[in-house]
Amino acid sequence: MKNKMNRATNFVAGLLLGFGLAFSPSASMAQDISGQLQADPLEGLTVKQREMVVAFQERVKDYTKMREAIEARMPKLAKESTPEQIQAHKTELEKRVREARAGAKRGQLFTPDIAGYIRRAIKNEYRGAALKELRASVLEADTKGVPVRVNYVYPESKELVEMSPKLLLKLPQLPKQVRYRFVGRNLLLVDRENDLIVDYMLNALP
Amino acid sequence: MKRIITSMLIYGALVFGGLVGNALAQTAAPARATGERVATATAAAPLKLTLPLKDGSVRFLVIGDTGTGTEQQQELSNVMFRYRQAFPYEFVLMMGDNMYGGEKPEDFKLKFENVYKQLLDDKVKFYASLGNHDESNQRFYELFNMNGEEFYRFTKGNVAFYALNSNYMDKRQIKWLDEELAKDTSEWKIVYMHHPPYSSGGKHGSSSGLREVVEPIFLKYGVNAVFAGHEHFYERVKPQKGIYYFISGAGGKLRPGDVKKNSPLTEKAFDTDMSFMLLEVAGSELHFQVISRTGDTVDSGTLTKQAAKPKTSPAAAAPVVAPTP
Repeated sequence: MKNKMNRATNFVAGLLLGFGLAFSPSASMAQDISGQLQADPLEGLTVKQREMVVAFQERVKDYTKMREAIEARMPKLAKESTPEQIQAHKTELEKRVREARAGAKRGQLFTPDIAGYIRRAIKNEYRGAALKELRASVLEADTKGVPVRVNYVYPESKELVEMSPKLLLKLPQLPKQVRYRFVGRNLLLVDRENDLIVDYMLNALP
Repeated sequence: MKRIITSMLIYGALVFGGLVGNALAQTAAPARATGERVATATAAAPLKLTLPLKDGSVRFLVIGDTGTGTEQQQELSNVMFRYRQAFPYEFVLMMGDNMYGGEKPEDFKLKFENVYKQLLDDKVKFYASLGNHDESNQRFYELFNMNGEEFYRFTKGNVAFYALNSNYMDKRQIKWLDEELAKDTSEWKIVYMHHPPYSSGGKHGSSSGLREVVEPIFLKYGVNAVFAGHEHFYERVKPQKGIYYFISGAGGKLRPGDVKKNSPLTEKAFDTDMSFMLLEVAGSELHFQVISRTGDTVDSGTLTKQAAKPKTSPAAAAPVVAPTP
């Protein structure tokens, strides 16, 4: 009886897998991805949305210019460094950027308009099962204890949430020095070298 | 006759390697905070090599989710070293989660340098990818050979290896992958990253969001095999649209019993102990052998290189998998 059940389960699972493969989104996704790589990232946005996104990207650029200028005055970290050199560089960069941004407040980069735009973009992109899956992958990460505060450090002992590639393609593009990172439902902007939280917005994830 | 002599030589090398490896493990075992010696649970396990050791082949090892600094990680490392005496691999691919719970200089020592000291002393190179427990700054660490990049490519013989950062697959990285693969004329294209596009794991499962973006690129340019970690077990996934997928994420942690029973994805799985993979690419064949912490072979076989551009139909692109008995 048990064997029969197992066989039946395997059959159904196999059928579902076969069905899934046959109707896989890969072929159309290939075009999608190529299209998205080539396309103007601002295409399809209204004039107002374009202005919002461009202004946000300018604010992020200002931040990266500032931190690049700071880093340029420090000894360069070689591509083949020791852990001690990596640690020293990170700590020093963190200290200097933190000092330069003393008094920075939430919402200086994620202003209310762009925060609203991002919330809507996520809501429009993820519905039903896709949203459930995104939520599950974001909320399963152990980020308890991460301070959701500007100019604080994202602790290196804490897990990083896997960012959905599709979502990253939808969000305003960032320079390589800065990352989007979820902590619970909140979306952070984090400096990838010194782990400082540059800004954050609440309840980005529906 | 020739085969018998070869077998005897290999067996001799394994026994000798085992003895040397264990002797070294005893002396080179890293000091722990507790002061205890690292156990060598693998001491008595007989080793058996199923790989062909062909002339000019590309030989490497795959480990994932290693960064714990535990005795078990050390025990597995000792087995890795023992196998190197018979199967002289020259490099190791790391599937990410190279450092759990902190990345201070002492963590690099405890969770990596001490554990793999025997291999590092032997000039074995490690090529790391980043996991969800790894900071971006690891890309500057000299012994991870990432050349300051979160995603990078290198070649060995007729094989091109692509290390990806699956934790942050942004437009920049996708574009880079697309462009690099487009001009790649290597015979074999192997991708490795932390998150598995296909998995039978109960805790995590397939990273379907990632798969949606990278799989079309793999198919477009004929990627042959994909290695991942994240799941703390070993799984050989049934070929998907002609591509071979492996999970080797039990190099430092184990999630016992996490592979879903009767998963339609699983060709072979092992989730009762830690493990690593030995691989040999020779001509149009990829030979693999999966070894547990006790030195036992838990899976092995030979995969045949697919046609240059596998079609999306699974039937049309069905590859040949010949497990070693």
